Amino acid sequence: MSILEVNGLKKVYTTRLGGNKVEALKNVNFQVEEGEYVAIMGESGSGKTTLLNILAALDKPTGGTVRLDGQDLSQIREADIAAFRRDHLGFVFQEFNLLDTFSVEDNIYLPLVLAGKRYPEMRKRLEPLASWLGLSELLKKYPYEISGGQKQRAAVARALITEPRLVLADEPTGALDSRATDELLQLFRRINQSGQTILMVTHSVKAASHAGRVLFIKDGEVFHQIYRGQCANEELYQKIADTLTMLTTGGDRR
Amino acid sequence: MRHGFYRRLAWTGIRQNRKLYIPYLLTCAGMVMMAYIISFLSQSPLLEDMAGGATMESMLTFGSWVMGIFSLVFLFYTHSFLFRRRKKEFGLYNILGMGKRHLARVLIWEAVLAAALSLGAGLLAGIAVSKFAELLMVRILDGNATFTLSVAPGAILHTLAWFGGIFLLILLNSLRQLHFTKPVELLRSEQAGEKPPRANWVLAVLGLALLAGAYWLAVNLEDPVAAMVFFFVAVVMVILGTYLLFMAGSVALCRVLQKNKRYYYQTRHFVSVSSMAYRMKRNGAGLASICILSTMVLVMVSSTVCLYAGLEDTIRAQNPRNISVEAYVVDPAALEGEKPEQVRKLAEQVTAEAGLAPENVLDYRQASFAGIRDGSQMEWYLSSLYTTTSPMDTSEYWQVYLIPLEDYNRITGAEASLAPGEALASTITAPYEEDTVTLNGGNTLRIQGRVEPFVRNELDALEMFPSLYLVVPDFVEQAQALQDTVGDETALNLSWYYGWDLACSDAVQLQVWENLRDASAEAELEASGEEAASYFHLYWDSAAHARQNVYGLYGGLFFLGILLGIVFLFAAVLMIYYKQVSEGYEDQSRFAIMQKVGMTRREIRRSVNSQILTVFFLPLLTAGVHLAFAFPLVYRMLSLFSVANRGLLAAVTGLCYLVFALFYVLVYRGTSQAYYAIVSGKGE
Ligand SMILES: Nc1ncnc2c1ncn2[C@@H]1O[C@H](COP(=O)(O)OP(=O)(O)OP(=O)(O)O)[C@@H](O)[C@H]1O
Ligand SMILES: [Mg+2]
Repeated sequence: MSILEVNGLKKVYTTRLGGNKVEALKNVNFQVEEGEYVAIMGESGSGKTTLLNILAALDKPTGGTVRLDGQDLSQIREADIAAFRRDHLGFVFQEFNLLDTFSVEDNIYLPLVLAGKRYPEMRKRLEPLASWLGLSELLKKYPYEISGGQKQRAAVARALITEPRLVLADEPTGALDSRATDELLQLFRRINQSGQTILMVTHSVKAASHAGRVLFIKDGEVFHQIYRGQCANEELYQKIADTLTMLTTGGDRR
Repeated sequence: MRHGFYRRLAWTGIRQNRKLYIPYLLTCAGMVMMAYIISFLSQSPLLEDMAGGATMESMLTFGSWVMGIFSLVFLFYTHSFLFRRRKKEFGLYNILGMGKRHLARVLIWEAVLAAALSLGAGLLAGIAVSKFAELLMVRILDGNATFTLSVAPGAILHTLAWFGGIFLLILLNSLRQLHFTKPVELLRSEQAGEKPPRANWVLAVLGLALLAGAYWLAVNLEDPVAAMVFFFVAVVMVILGTYLLFMAGSVALCRVLQKNKRYYYQTRHFVSVSSMAYRMKRNGAGLASICILSTMVLVMVSSTVCLYAGLEDTIRAQNPRNISVEAYVVDPAALEGEKPEQVRKLAEQVTAEAGLAPENVLDYRQASFAGIRDGSQMEWYLSSLYTTTSPMDTSEYWQVYLIPLEDYNRITGAEASLAPGEALASTITAPYEEDTVTLNGGNTLRIQGRVEPFVRNELDALEMFPSLYLVVPDFVEQAQALQDTVGDETALNLSWYYGWDLACSDAVQLQVWENLRDASAEAELEASGEEAASYFHLYWDSAAHARQNVYGLYGGLFFLGILLGIVFLFAAVLMIYYKQVSEGYEDQSRFAIMQKVGMTRREIRRSVNSQILTVFFLPLLTAGVHLAFAFPLVYRMLSLFSVANRGLLAAVTGLCYLVFALFYVLVYRGTSQAYYAIVSGKGE
């Protein structure tokens, strides 16, 4: 069974003033299997963030269903949504979203504390994770004292510490320089290889070329997808670049 | 660039930041209004003609200084808050290619617009309200006035000059800041990575010690004169202690809580404790200021209200009868001669001429001295002056009175009888438990019985020293013997009091009083005489006359207390508002992140609510504690000026606190709307 099933997803924004409607998502269908690493690409304004927000249950779709582990998100009661989110999903954001009032360590604990876990257990989970992500030395520091790449690694640790079914990432490399980007992409690869399912939204061809599968969104629909198959990163990169050119020049579905 | 460009840019700046600018402009206008009113009143021609007007005038002049200095400090504070928010905007303009010279022009225009708006509105409001204030003041002074609107150019000029100066200083300060910061810093200044607050234990403990010390002083200073001196010491200690505790103590407390892992890593405490540390670091000083201001308002308003409300009691205590005459003599026998009888006749005659009859007559003789008590020994104060170590310590000082038995019996209607050498004792303020009393090493009196106080004089009203009244059967002999122990025949205070009430208005009483003085002068009753035995000096007093003076003084205090109370109150309100708004901006992004990480809206709201409640009600609670500890001190100080009525003071203080708390809650509720609008992103 797929971890994630998205069927006929539709989202219409109604602007506050007047009845101007924007159809951000028209009809999105796709599935994600256990252990997959999926990248979603599309032009600016094509609805990627909207899609991710709906998957994260931060926003409600106008139509269609999202099932996570067979559970229909729209069936979860409003009061349980937050708990569901923190138990089943991990998030990595473009702008890190670390709380500046917490040390790195406390930032990573945040979802566990919210879930009511005890300190010794949290500590036990953190130690291997921190050394794996190279954060052991940084735990006592505060976000303002560390670099962007380090911040993003802390955010990744925060996403992983709950052992989520699915990690959602929105432009995780968007605020990083090229070296930090490479490091983070390597890290995502390793995380994926350890069995973690990842869904990542990105602009960057380079970031997408690390994924196992790339989905292209256009005009609120999944327009095309590429499987890595046996390709190396470079080959996949080329394929993605070609597809994007075709997308922007308005070619037909292959 | 085109004409009027900078002006328009400045105007847009003000309009776009109206959430911050409007309260600032309102404050400026409010301060201008108050300053104008106080200045107007201090120059009011109405005052000059009134009884007590001169006292009021000097009080108001003092008030206008307080007002001016407070405005300077407070407007600086609020403006710095405003300017910090706007730095980002200036940074953007700077990067978009506007030089600092151009930015300075925008700033100047902004300052001019703000000054024009607030001075205009403030003066208009001041002129409109000043007449009401004047009427109120005349009422407080117990006079009458008719309503005519008037404008005082002098007061306008004074206000314009003072506030023009303040606005200029503020402008210069912002220009200085603009000049010394780099554009990138301007852009970033709002979110420059904030260091985690460190607990400064030394300061925290020092704050605690200062506060404890001040509280100890307030509770343990029994002596009113020492209370007066140490009041200011205690005030300074409380102010310092409050600032230290709010700034360092609160952070230290959060740190301790964070160290306790079991406590800290709980859903309920985790977010609150860690953000509280930051909140207190940012707001400690502001909150301490709110606390101090609130305490000031409360102490000032409650004590002046209490003084004013207790005014009639004070007057009655200082003038036990409407009209009175006191005769001072040197020879005790002179009090029994024919002079007192002549005075009684004269008094009756003059009162009858006014068509009135004396009521409630009080008529007694007394001999008194200030003594220092040592067991049952009452030593003459003057002779011990050089032997006591600490003249500041007034705790063993007593005022001792000898009263003839026959006068006592007449006043109280009792039929007591005593043998020579015996006495009845009556004390005020402190008990006297010995069985005998030795008067300055001379005669020793056996205390035959203890009786309730039957007369009170001005000194008793102050309650500075305890009084011991000794009713003796052989008054003249005892007084003579006492005088002999000193060897100076003028040292003993020998007098005769004769007073009565009149059922008529103050004006008629004043007239009767004048007539009495004239008649007594005409009858040549007084004898300043070279001979001590014939010395006879009269002092005529009138409660109505005292009332005029006292209303001028205490009415002025009362009025000023209310005016400044209002000003400080609005200052506190504005600080609460600015705190809320700035908290809102800070919390906006955190709110969003926590939601993404898996906190429900309700959880977030609850956590934020509890933090905000703590932050805002901490000053109110602390002010309450300060007030409770200040109470004994305030009471003792008030007792120097008037009849200190503990119950009245407690009631007034409690009421003031309740009213203030209610007001505070209302303001809090109002401003938290603004807060939530910002946090949920609806504010922009
Ligand atoms: N809250 C909203 N209200 C109204 N319209 C919105 C809202 N959020 C997004 N939109 C619109 O929906 C469309 C999709 O926006 P979305 O943010 O999902 O795009 P995106 O693919 O993430 O773009 P980018 O790559 O630039 O981040 C856009 O046309 C946008 O204007
Ligand atoms: Mg986006």
